[in-house]
Amino acid sequence: MASIHEHDAAVEAAQKIEMVEVEDGYTLTNLPDESITQQFDVEQIPQKDVTQEMREQSAKEDPTSWLMYGGGYQQQRHTSADVITKDNVGDLELEYLVQSGVASSMEGVPIVVPGDPPVMYQTNGPNHAKAINARTGETLWSYTYANPQGLLLCCDANNRGFAVHGDKVYMTTLDSGIVALNRYTGEEEWYTSTGDHEIGYSATWAPIVHDGKVITGSAGGEYGVSGFVQALNPEDGSSIWKTNTTPADEWAGDSHEHGAGTVWMTPTLDPDSGMIHAPVGNPGPDFDGTVRPGPNRYTIGTLTLSADDGSVQWHYGESPHDVWDYDSSAPKIRVNDMEMGDETRDVVLSPGKTAWVYTMDAGNGRLLERSQETTQHINMWKMVPHVDEDRRVAFVPGAHGGNDWQPPSYNPETGLMYVNQNNAPHEIFWEEAQYEAGQTYWGGGLNDWPDVSEPQGWNGNLSAIVAVDPVSGERVWRDWISSDTTSDYLWGGSITTATGLTFAGTQNGNIVAYDGENGDRLWQFQLGAPICSSLSSWYDPGEGKQYVAVQVGGSGWLHGGRRGSTVAVFGLSEN
Amino acid sequence: MSQYVNDGMPEIGQEDRRQFLKVVGLTGAVAAGSEFTLSDLRGEVEGETAGELAAMGEAIRSDLVGTLDAGLLGSELASLEEQITRLPELRAMGVPAEDSTEYQQLAEPGWAIHEHLVEVGFFESVEEHLPEFTPEHIGATAREFINTAALASALSELGYSEEELTSTVVNVVNNKERLAMWVPTKNIPAGVEGFDPQNIAPLHQRAAAGTLLWTDYLDTYLWQNEVLLTDTILDNNYGDLKQMYAGLHLLANAAEDLAGSQELSDAQLTAALSAGAAMMIVGQEDLTNDVMRITDEMRAPRTGGA
Repeated sequence: MASIHEHDAAVEAAQKIEMVEVEDGYTLTNLPDESITQQFDVEQIPQKDVTQEMREQSAKEDPTSWLMYGGGYQQQRHTSADVITKDNVGDLELEYLVQSGVASSMEGVPIVVPGDPPVMYQTNGPNHAKAINARTGETLWSYTYANPQGLLLCCDANNRGFAVHGDKVYMTTLDSGIVALNRYTGEEEWYTSTGDHEIGYSATWAPIVHDGKVITGSAGGEYGVSGFVQALNPEDGSSIWKTNTTPADEWAGDSHEHGAGTVWMTPTLDPDSGMIHAPVGNPGPDFDGTVRPGPNRYTIGTLTLSADDGSVQWHYGESPHDVWDYDSSAPKIRVNDMEMGDETRDVVLSPGKTAWVYTMDAGNGRLLERSQETTQHINMWKMVPHVDEDRRVAFVPGAHGGNDWQPPSYNPETGLMYVNQNNAPHEIFWEEAQYEAGQTYWGGGLNDWPDVSEPQGWNGNLSAIVAVDPVSGERVWRDWISSDTTSDYLWGGSITTATGLTFAGTQNGNIVAYDGENGDRLWQFQLGAPICSSLSSWYDPGEGKQYVAVQVGGSGWLHGGRRGSTVAVFGLSEN
Repeated sequence: MSQYVNDGMPEIGQEDRRQFLKVVGLTGAVAAGSEFTLSDLRGEVEGETAGELAAMGEAIRSDLVGTLDAGLLGSELASLEEQITRLPELRAMGVPAEDSTEYQQLAEPGWAIHEHLVEVGFFESVEEHLPEFTPEHIGATAREFINTAALASALSELGYSEEELTSTVVNVVNNKERLAMWVPTKNIPAGVEGFDPQNIAPLHQRAAAGTLLWTDYLDTYLWQNEVLLTDTILDNNYGDLKQMYAGLHLLANAAEDLAGSQELSDAQLTAALSAGAAMMIVGQEDLTNDVMRITDEMRAPRTGGA
């Protein structure tokens, strides 16, 4: 166990914050009046700026770093670190636990800047952050952002991690902003608001920094906002460009003004082409498509933009005119030079709530293959909007997928993609009485398993970890996650290693190492609380060890499970 | 989801015919369940009696006479008719080329008409004076449409066969539950999901704009998704477009008549506007189910990455 500082003003402020349920979701109370930084032994942090070149080599080419949410710009979540292998993963041991001191949403990915010592930068809800000696687990500074009153949160007080550039780290804030901190001291450098939190905008994802721009998105798709992707100046937070995802000429009347299409997970970027592949969520309102006829471009799918000026390059829609909340918010994976038949192609891989993996030509969005189903498909696209209760239909995948936001991974060594999938039935319904009353008729309601009728043919499994060949679309293996409890959802992501391993966490608290080729479970460790985050891994040459880090604790809008406040770090020596 | 024969138009079964005849009030003169066309029924169904459709049409006419540009509507209606006759060519084309604008061209005259009607407040007037899609209003509209030979004959001249028109009308009338979901904007409450009803277009505008937005999407959509497409899906795409464009033509024809010759009676005006919107609504919902939501059972086989 790493040391815990007796007095940490940032932790104490965060501990006082309460998340309370309100009519349309959640809000936070007992918020601090101003942001708080608590410094400890910050002298341990090596003062070496993070560069564009370092980020482009992160994880995949430079195993000593994990500088971005998705490992690298292409979000393959793949490390070239090779100390942990299929043969020795059984010896992987818990190295240390960091207690954040704040039992809140734990959906973030710790990033690691190489050095002596390497430094981990970690965030969790509600906008609490830390710099940590990644060798010892010692906290070097803590920070809590002072969110304002009046937040509207659909799902939890989430934050999924930092971006890093130069001497700064960048965190989105629940009031729809970005705050830049000096990563050597934890002190605020600048803050920029990107949307009005009082009308429902918020921000939870890890941003990215590329070529003089901090790239961020938008959340609030259940509150009638209009989505966007925005680029800010990393030095002062000024806006460089902002691209709306619901252009007026693609919508009927003025419905685009509340058309949602938010980009609430980390965009993927290809540094060579300068293309951003943004994951786009549901159209608004969620369930009544009659007020927004047509395909509702650019919702639910992959929206590709130029990083230079934000101009739209192409969009691929996975559920045109959606009425099931089938977001496509999982981060996209970019793979260049993939061999498909006789050709070599640059592709974008997308797993959506529709429970297929889409392999698209990265240059124009043309579908090259759609995979076999990753979960069951039962009564999909069959339910009729606005029917009475007697005609509800339980369907799979439910409103959380398939693949909700859980980040997928790719391993160039196996050529496979790994996706954490949900298989639970849901019912969406519209209540005629409420329709008459005129308040929730197009919001309707959602029944979650087990409060639904069991659809015929359902296999009883709530989730699965699945390997897919993105070239052929073949489902290569599938590990159903099943028990008698209702907590076996998957909210976290996976990572891969050069040695063919796939690591993933489960909602029942196991971190599992799979043989990526066949799905055999080679190692697992029970952490005692749900894992709702993705992971990171790096090699520390000073110690001769490869590490794997994961945040532990329940979060999310369905079956979040028991809260936690832990970052667990495992290690294995090369000798 | 509708079922189709080779031409992609709705296939009408015995139960569909029985249900349709019941809605339009024909249970004796034509044997329930027997084959029929709209022409067979003309003169058999009872036309407007209570004067409700006529009163609605008169109110719309009163609002809009003098506001519409007859020249623009006449010219764009002619262009729309030219585009509608291209539908078989579009089906024969199959999957559009990468930079195709063939489907966007189909929609262009419709957009011009739509923009003009938005500018003059046409859709607000129509929504104000027409009721929701109740079973009674759908039945009355269908009876008036059947008895107005001019409305059907205009479509026949554009290549719609008697069977196609019949299946379109039967499909619309038998989808009264789906039509009822399309609530007039004036009846939509405020404050749900932060959505302001002032941002929602009037019902008949939504029907038209949806038709045109889907059409514009088809060039890209079909090209991007070729690996999933089958001939059945392309046939259905063609049939669903024919339904939608029959509706769009009825709407545009009614507006052009209102601006110029005023040959349609008040009741016929109402029937054209209601039937037009209903065909566009049911057609785009069919398109969504038949073409956009491709299940594993519907799709073309995977090619294994070749």
